[in-house]
Amino acid sequence: MNRFWKWTVGIFGVLFLAAFTLLSFMAGSPKDAFGMVRYALPHMHRGTLKVGSDAPDARIVALDGVSRFHIRERTHERPLVLVFGSFT
Amino acid sequence: MTVYVREAHPTDEWQMKSNVKDDVCYAQPKTLEQRVAIANDFTKRFKFPLPFGIDDMSNAANDAYAAWPERIYIIDESGHIAYRGGMGPFNYKPEEAREWLAARYGAVKHEAPKSPADAAPASATRAAAPTPAPTAAVK
Repeated sequence: MNRFWKWTVGIFGVLFLAAFTLLSFMAGSPKDAFGMVRYALPHMHRGTLKVGSDAPDARIVALDGVSRFHIRERTHERPLVLVFGSFT
Repeated sequence: MTVYVREAHPTDEWQMKSNVKDDVCYAQPKTLEQRVAIANDFTKRFKFPLPFGIDDMSNAANDAYAAWPERIYIIDESGHIAYRGGMGPFNYKPEEAREWLAARYGAVKHEAPKSPADAAPASATRAAAPTPAPTAAVK
């Protein structure tokens, strides 16, 4: 391996280590950093909706697991606060 | 209205210590029945009083609103996005949504939980917090 490649690999190694350390600090631990990269980042999207966009519709399942309704059914005449989340 | 989307920290993916501490340990649902069961666990455990729905297994609502892991939107009377919250968890700011509602519809005084036992775990509290709105004006 010539000198150029040694430096290149070394610099990328240091950058990778620095990035992983920073991510570990942000996430709480190296395990959490791995979890964030492996499971969270692929599902996180900024989205294209903007203030003023038409609110998209989607079919939602009621708590009984059988009934269905649409988000836009709930948007007539009054504003609707939509809070997305999960249990964990 | 609260919409349950795919789990953020299931046991078979990125489980966090706080999930164990709060006894909120679920695998990522693979079927709608499993999602419905977890959603019902949540609403029953916290006696969740607000309108509640579940994204189906196609994740249509999640995809349409880029909702995961948590996010707030306010849709106005004409069906347009009036408020678009940031991506959770770092930019999930219920207080910002509350301020937006107060500025537009007037402030409403909310009662604090009667005891710590009434309070939901962090993620659930975050999800529930912004929903109270001027009841006469907002669903």
